[in-house]
Amino acid sequence: MLVWSRAARRMIWAVGGLVAAIIYGAPIIVIALASIAGHWNGAWPNDFTLRHYGNALTGDSARQLRTSLETGAIASVFAVLSGTWAALALRKIAPLPRRLFDLFFFMPSAVPSVSVGLGLLVAFSQPPVLLNGTTLIVILAHFVLISAFSYGNISAGLARLRPDYEQVAESLGARPAYKLWRVTLPLILPYIVGALSLSFALSMGELGATEMVYPPGWVTLPVGIFALSDRGAIFDAAALTMLLVAGTFAILLALVRISNRATVR
Amino acid sequence: MLTIADRDGAASVAPSATQAAEVAGSSIDFEDVTVSYGGTVVLDRFSLSVAPGEILALIGPSGSGKTTALRAVAGFVRPASGRIRIGEQDITDIPPYARGLGMVVQNYALFPHMRVDQNVAFGLRAQNADPALIATRVGECLELVGMSSFARRYPAQLSGGQQQRVAIARALAIRPRVLLLDEPLSALDAQIRRNMVEELGRLHRDLPNLTVLYVTHDQSEALTLADRIAILRDGRLNAFGPSRSLYQAPTSRFAAEFLGRANLLPVTVSQLDADGVLARVRLGEHSLSVRCELQLAPGHGCLLCIRPHALRLADLPTGNGFRATVETALWQGDTQNVTLRVEGVALNLTVSPSQAMPERGSAVWVDFAPHEATLIADEPAHG
Amino acid sequence: MAETTTAPRPVVATHGLWVVLPFAILCAAFLYPLFLIALQAVTGPDGALSLAQPLRVLTTPAFWRAFLNTIEIAVSASAGCVGLGLGLAILLSFVPFPGSRTAARLIETFVALPTFLVALAFTFLYGSAGILNETATTALGLAHPPVDFLYSRWGVVLAEVTVYTPFALRPLLAAFSLIDAAQIEVASSLGAKPLRILRQVILPAALPALLAGGSLCLLLTVNEFGVVLFIGAKGVITLPLMIYDKAIQEFDYPSACVVAVVNVALSLGLFSAYRLIVARIGGRHAGVV
Repeated sequence: MLVWSRAARRMIWAVGGLVAAIIYGAPIIVIALASIAGHWNGAWPNDFTLRHYGNALTGDSARQLRTSLETGAIASVFAVLSGTWAALALRKIAPLPRRLFDLFFFMPSAVPSVSVGLGLLVAFSQPPVLLNGTTLIVILAHFVLISAFSYGNISAGLARLRPDYEQVAESLGARPAYKLWRVTLPLILPYIVGALSLSFALSMGELGATEMVYPPGWVTLPVGIFALSDRGAIFDAAALTMLLVAGTFAILLALVRISNRATVR
Repeated sequence: MLTIADRDGAASVAPSATQAAEVAGSSIDFEDVTVSYGGTVVLDRFSLSVAPGEILALIGPSGSGKTTALRAVAGFVRPASGRIRIGEQDITDIPPYARGLGMVVQNYALFPHMRVDQNVAFGLRAQNADPALIATRVGECLELVGMSSFARRYPAQLSGGQQQRVAIARALAIRPRVLLLDEPLSALDAQIRRNMVEELGRLHRDLPNLTVLYVTHDQSEALTLADRIAILRDGRLNAFGPSRSLYQAPTSRFAAEFLGRANLLPVTVSQLDADGVLARVRLGEHSLSVRCELQLAPGHGCLLCIRPHALRLADLPTGNGFRATVETALWQGDTQNVTLRVEGVALNLTVSPSQAMPERGSAVWVDFAPHEATLIADEPAHG
Repeated sequence: MAETTTAPRPVVATHGLWVVLPFAILCAAFLYPLFLIALQAVTGPDGALSLAQPLRVLTTPAFWRAFLNTIEIAVSASAGCVGLGLGLAILLSFVPFPGSRTAARLIETFVALPTFLVALAFTFLYGSAGILNETATTALGLAHPPVDFLYSRWGVVLAEVTVYTPFALRPLLAAFSLIDAAQIEVASSLGAKPLRILRQVILPAALPALLAGGSLCLLLTVNEFGVVLFIGAKGVITLPLMIYDKAIQEFDYPSACVVAVVNVALSLGLFSAYRLIVARIGGRHAGVV
């Protein structure tokens, strides 16, 4: 407690609260308002409607929502698998190469997503592998971009795992595979779920690489939202954004609940 | 399955004495074991034999290598050289999961996502034991440590002492050839620790053939529980022997000070008795008789080691005593602690609280029985 | 057991082979494409290696405008993130209010939201027909909207500050949670005023976290694409947007590759700096994930 006077504390709270509300509250509120605005000619919406949500849940937008969910699910599952594998494998090697590999696995998070998309376009528009114009190249782009975040989450979890659990398991006769399955993985489950949630959320919001590589038949929600807002259909764009945020949060909450139930009470 | 049912030399888990007596525990032998971490030698040509069925305490200050020695037996550190044997078997190159040892660590490391019974069953399940056998064994082991009624709890719902018992039951369930205890009581508070020391003693009476290697930094735990004590210092074996004799007649200054409070008085040997058991030494103007197990020539300087409770205050000169000045006297409830000065050296003695407190500055006579003191070679003090 | 245990302990070196699979995937899907970008950048139309292409792109004023824009926006936005993050972290950690933990959590969830959401929201808030301008014109009877920063560099900067402040906030909250509350109480009891405690106790403890958070923000803002695309201000072209324009709008892949090489090099430089700072302060990837 830094400030002891009650009045001063109240004033600091008021100012801080106001700043936080303007910066973080206002954007969400205004998008929510726009998504149900019928007409908006003055400072505030003139009337309200659910038409934009209707538009969002039918036709192109509904397909885009499904595309995003599918892309996010596939890419994040693979990112978590590969991240878990990499983090576990790195524990077994000597410190110096370990740090190098660690740097490599983090690199995709440091490179602009547009470049990742450009690289995939360049690499897979020529033999031996042709992926340009396929669904797979979008999923691959998402996988690359989010893999660093899953790897980071899981290796942080492993670093926090006390070694004696695994050692006791070994001393009790558990072979490496049994130990991994029954002790190591359950103990880092919260981090795995965290990695899955973050990967999924990032994939749902990914725009840069997707804009570079998406084929006409696999339009993700952010690409659709940009197209709408570019066309001036900003209320429809707002409704879709609300759906994106709601969908992301619903799945994050579900994952957190699963992880809470599965781990220690 | 074979590994569980057919293991030779496993201690019985059932509290029945006849069953327990049928099998013999395994010995542990360290042969010239050297362990180093990145150039630092933490265990230096360490050799030690733990007899089947005994509790051997490995004690020493932190960094002395005692935990490293235990972890080398468990298989988590690999010796740079030397061999480790359990019974007849050389286990140096065997992975930890194939060693068949029970281990209890400082923080118990109970698997938080498993119930108590699942924790205890873990080792048997890992080795694919028969479900019926697992059920019986888990029941027996939980009963042995008095935790039967907690079988369906999770570790987070148990107190420290209860977690400790579950950890022991889990280690015993695989009928280990030896039980490794790594500072098992250091996470408990003083009162519970005293109770657990007694319980460990009782457990070993129930399982008299179980070989136990007990690592601790607490000498009182070691003295209470262990048949023999090995003291490590800087990665080497400093002293080794049966607990009682090591306490009464420590073989080094380090051992004397590590096992409890010790008065160390510089003396000169004046004469050895013909039978070689007692020696006469000079402390200033006084001539004293003391047990001597060292090879010493008259005129040799060494240390006279007497525990504070072996000294007695007397008003008059007696057979084996010296004169000292009282510096302080401190009443401590169940004892009185008196600090004296003799020949420029401070020494402590404890007397019963009912005895009259000597006056500060007064001169008193102090005496001791020859066999309650010992001579040890002089060496630089530790720390 | 005795009969099964004569097998030698597995050689430690083979454990390292497990890393081959994820590394191979990373190589195929990430490093190989990056390598091809670099190769494409220095390959002439005839297929031979040549520096003509990069030299041509790197000498255009458009490239340098984008480069300077990127740096200026990233530096201003990161400074804003660090400043705002520090203020919020001090408020949340040292002047806590009921629910301050929840507030910190809520702000952190912004990390998971798409960055263009803020840009879109800003159109409604600060756009020429947005809430702020409409309110001002009606209330003050102005002929023109008074607030006109959204379609400039500052619009992008403000949006990025909003989006990336949580990344600066997180390491700061972690650092502040390590400060012993008793230290501040003792300082107060010795008569130190809040500002003095802030300067002498809190800020020194926050410095490493500030550096880590700041360099992470710098990295993320250099790479930001969605915000710039959505705000779509005419004059505000950054390197990622230039890559997109060259490749997707103009189908000029060689030029896009040259710009991408510069952008990736800049990002990896910042990434190395960030990793060095984090390694120095000993935190494990504070805030990356």
